[in-house]
Amino acid sequence: MSEQARDAVGDYRYGFHDPEHATIRFDKGLSEQVVRDISELKDEPQWMTDIRVKAFHHFKERPMPDWGNCSELNSIKFDDVTYFLRSSNQTEKNWDDVPEDIKNTFNRLGIPEAEQKWLGGVTAQYESEAVYHSIREDLEAQGVLFLDMDSGLKQFPEIVKQYFGSVVPYSDNKFAALNTAVWSGGSFIYVPKGVHVEMPVQAYFRINAKNMGQFERTLIIADEGSSIHYVEGCTAPTYSTDSLHSAVVELIAMKDSKIRYSTVQNWSSNVYNLVTKRGVAYENATVEWVDGNIGSKLTMKYPAVLLRGEGAHAEVISVAYAGEGQHQDAGAKVHHLAPNTTSNILSKSISKNGGRSSYRGMLQVSPKASGCRSKIVCDALLLDEHSRSDTYPTMEVANSTADLEHEASVSKISGDQLFYLMSRGFSEEEAMGLIVNGFFEPFTRELPMEYAVELNKLLELEMEGSIG
Amino acid sequence: MKYADMAPPPRSEHLWRYTPWHWMHPSDIHLVPEALPIRFTLDEGGPLESTPSEPSASNEYARVFLHEVARTKTTVTTSTEGEVLNLFGVASGHLASSHLHLDIQHASTIILHLSGEAEWCGLHITADVKRNTCASFALVNELSSTTTYLECQDWELEQDSNVEFAGLTIGGFRIKSDIRSNLKAKGAHMTQAMSTHGIGQRHADHHVEIHHLEGHTTSNLSAHSACDDESHLVATGLLTIAKDATQSDAGQVFRNLLLSPKARAESLPELEVLADDVSAAHGAASAPVDEDQMHYMMSRGFSPSEASALIVEGFLTAAFRDIKNSHIIDAIRTRLTVHLECHIKR
Repeated sequence: MSEQARDAVGDYRYGFHDPEHATIRFDKGLSEQVVRDISELKDEPQWMTDIRVKAFHHFKERPMPDWGNCSELNSIKFDDVTYFLRSSNQTEKNWDDVPEDIKNTFNRLGIPEAEQKWLGGVTAQYESEAVYHSIREDLEAQGVLFLDMDSGLKQFPEIVKQYFGSVVPYSDNKFAALNTAVWSGGSFIYVPKGVHVEMPVQAYFRINAKNMGQFERTLIIADEGSSIHYVEGCTAPTYSTDSLHSAVVELIAMKDSKIRYSTVQNWSSNVYNLVTKRGVAYENATVEWVDGNIGSKLTMKYPAVLLRGEGAHAEVISVAYAGEGQHQDAGAKVHHLAPNTTSNILSKSISKNGGRSSYRGMLQVSPKASGCRSKIVCDALLLDEHSRSDTYPTMEVANSTADLEHEASVSKISGDQLFYLMSRGFSEEEAMGLIVNGFFEPFTRELPMEYAVELNKLLELEMEGSIG
Repeated sequence: MKYADMAPPPRSEHLWRYTPWHWMHPSDIHLVPEALPIRFTLDEGGPLESTPSEPSASNEYARVFLHEVARTKTTVTTSTEGEVLNLFGVASGHLASSHLHLDIQHASTIILHLSGEAEWCGLHITADVKRNTCASFALVNELSSTTTYLECQDWELEQDSNVEFAGLTIGGFRIKSDIRSNLKAKGAHMTQAMSTHGIGQRHADHHVEIHHLEGHTTSNLSAHSACDDESHLVATGLLTIAKDATQSDAGQVFRNLLLSPKARAESLPELEVLADDVSAAHGAASAPVDEDQMHYMMSRGFSPSEASALIVEGFLTAAFRDIKNSHIIDAIRTRLTVHLECHIKR
């Protein structure tokens, strides 16, 4: 890591990078030809090429959002981004077949070890495409489809055609249009009726190259009465130039099904993380977003749920840690479109060393959504006088039987809590670390154990040097 | 900045999201029409004198417009400690507009009753609250149910000043108000309470900004909206605590009572906190009338409409629980009771 980069991003343990061995690397910049070339390279059906081209034109025409951190958004140099980079010629099913450098990277990230211990399946994406993919045999035997998105499109084009863009159309926002135009990689999951995937499946996204753009596309369909827990993690090397991550995730939870989507986002602080995540829940279905944002330079991510069926439920637990030079603009959106739907949103954020965290939320109740209930709680901790915390909630209610609550608070770490812990022998730094871990506990307890332990370690690292 | 040189605010701008500018402009949005002044009188005394209006000190779109439409400025200066001023503003004619300036130098109470049949009414209120002064202000909007009403208010609070602000909206057809307060020096405190009764097709959009520019400043805002018939009530708040405004304490609560299947309510309580040693909180809630409360009242002989009116009265009055000034509480209660009785009889 160069001195300049170290100064810019501080101490980030996943900041190492491999030498680049691209088998295919597109020139920087975006044009219709780049979009068509990506599609051609992947040998996609014509309908997908057409969607990509339409999305590209929409991206070009659509102005940049005029809300949020406009100065950061406007500083993204789209012409400096590499939109496609293939590092491995195929997706392997055995780690031994993955190119050495890439395998070492994932070893250092602990993915193969985690796979053996507690995962039902793994997709490891490196740059633009998946380099490794596997699923437990028993899940495969039950008819669970877990593929990288490119393979999903090749092997199950009918399902992909039916659902692709049905929850997040390309016209949704500028970055959804960009993703639709140049998407590559991501996960495709279909869980058949009545199948419960007991162990979580995981996708790990790694950006290695400089100025790289990663645009994965994930589509998860849980058929009636099924359930799945999907876990996603992401890291990138530390460079002094910026990378762009703009994913789209679409979840479809059919009647009586449940999808839980957990994310621990730990991009290095030179990555713009501009992601659109949305799920739709039909009758009595549940969609849960468990969303942790620790890294990145600027994150704009508002996991959303459309509650379309009676009795559907949405749960969003979101935590954000904004350190020096970071802006975590996260939140949640829930649209109650059917009667007796319920939702809970819990958002927690910490700002330190001049970091800025924002909660931006939308809770909408349509005229048909009688008897719906929702509760939103936002808590923010400010650890020093240089940091900032914002809350921008919106409640739109068009049904007189709706029962909604929103509450938010901003405070600093309580002197009494610090005093109590320090009187029992903890240093001030340790005491603050414990308080921060406790503050995030509602989030970590929803994560698989290994992730929770990892997150606590990460937070401890982030808290190092926070005193004095 | 002149109105003619400014571009209309886009709907993507938070302030104009639910009430676009062309809804509030009395005619073609490119024009600045002529308007009669609002006639202000004190309960003991004749009409207040006015002076020609000055250009707006702000570059905010609605404020610039109001200053160009309003040809007159009326200044009310408090003269003695403990003074209670009942101020009546009547908006008549096709269009009516004025700039009202409050120069508050003594502990005083000002209650402004705004009424009239004007088709469009525009009012800009500016207020300077001097150091160590306690001021109580109430605005009761009893305009005709067909009036479009545009209101901007700017409050400047100096060191150790204390303002109680009460707003009751029971009149007007389409209402847009934008109330901003700057807590400019240590010890400044603002208590703000607002209630709106949405009936018929009333559209009321209240935007409240409170800016803590210095440390040791406190504020609390309570906004209650009862939404009946086909009304659409919007309450947006922006609470900011500046970088050095440590030891500030700020809170805002928005509550909506939903009384009819076709009524709508929107709440956007926003917070921007740039200082760490502060206490800032906000809350918002929307709920229907409690069936147990209705049952209780009806079991004691009230008709459904009477029971509902009592619950609405209690809900709208509850917004003012932090207002200590008895003159203001009495005035608000009286106007609200009369309004609800008339509403039931209709």
